Amino acid sequence: MTFLLETLPALLVPLVLALAAFPLASSKKDYVSAFRAGAEEGLRTAVGLLPSLVLLLTALSMLSASGFVEFLASHLAGACRAVGIPAEILPLALTRPFSGAASTAGYAELMETYGPDRFPALCAAVLMGPSDTAVYVVSVYFSGAGVGRTRHALPAALLTGVFALVLACLLCRLFFGG
Amino acid sequence: MLGKCFFVIVLLSLVFGLFTGNAAALGNAALDGAARAVEVTLSLVGMTALWCGVMRVFTECGTVRLLSRLLSPLLRPVFPGAWQDERCRETVTAAVTANMLGLGNASTPLALTAMRELGRASPGEATDDMVTFAVLGTAPFNILPATLIALRRAAGSAAPCAVVVPVWICSLAAALFGILLSRLLRKAGRQHA
Repeated sequence: MTFLLETLPALLVPLVLALAAFPLASSKKDYVSAFRAGAEEGLRTAVGLLPSLVLLLTALSMLSASGFVEFLASHLAGACRAVGIPAEILPLALTRPFSGAASTAGYAELMETYGPDRFPALCAAVLMGPSDTAVYVVSVYFSGAGVGRTRHALPAALLTGVFALVLACLLCRLFFGG
Repeated sequence: MLGKCFFVIVLLSLVFGLFTGNAAALGNAALDGAARAVEVTLSLVGMTALWCGVMRVFTECGTVRLLSRLLSPLLRPVFPGAWQDERCRETVTAAVTANMLGLGNASTPLALTAMRELGRASPGEATDDMVTFAVLGTAPFNILPATLIALRRAAGSAAPCAVVVPVWICSLAAALFGILLSRLLRKAGRQHA
């Protein structure tokens, strides 16, 4: 179990790169120029993303400074307890759609405050797995593709996040009690 | 969408900032955010170049085609439109594989490549497959949740791997829910587009 879940993932990147090294070393076909063409295209995508990221991260940074998350967390606590979500993880659950770094920090803090094997921290762990920063992912993906009209992507992503939150707490109750 | 997000988020921040007395911090936070965008881009540039280059090598030597054929029974029903086109099929396969394996930060660059390929079919507006792909990107199914386990071990957990099974169940259910929801909301999404 430890090998599968800790040693193997650590080796995955070097293994994939080693796999790519075989064609790169081949003299039959010029794979190095293939690499360069792909890398150049990737560079253009990454740099082209910057203007959209400036817009997005400026707004998100303001939101986190405004105290919105704390306000929402303290007002939703009662309703969440009613559906089985521990109020302790609400700030984390509300940060998750907006910022990966902030929610990772929030998760570490939660483990420090309550202990990594206590119920709120376990719920947070199960939530961190299947939920990614929805607002960020949707904006970045569509900006990268140059698509402005994203239709139902954001609502569907946010609702999926809510579903994951409720399910994560339910599963923790089943698996760990609490 | 980005414009509307910006509008909603900035107004919300202003209202709550005034309401909670944090308004003075908003200006600095905004400038910090803009600076952070550059940091994020810088950290993304090298990684994106590496993975997009590696991906091109695997595409040219047929590895990706093999992989997309293997995953076809799983992915074709999810992305029926994209499966008609070879380049869409291959970039989507690569991105989904990287995502499932939790391959470093390879998934974002590969997902960006896949989104660009998917977008060729309909410039300016999201296709059904693009929406599904983005929603799956926000609810990834991760077979090896290595970062999570590393965080738990660092915090001194007695059994860092204990959460793996519920994480699998939750990820799988959330991914299925996301696919289903992006399908159900299609009509509503088209009307508001």
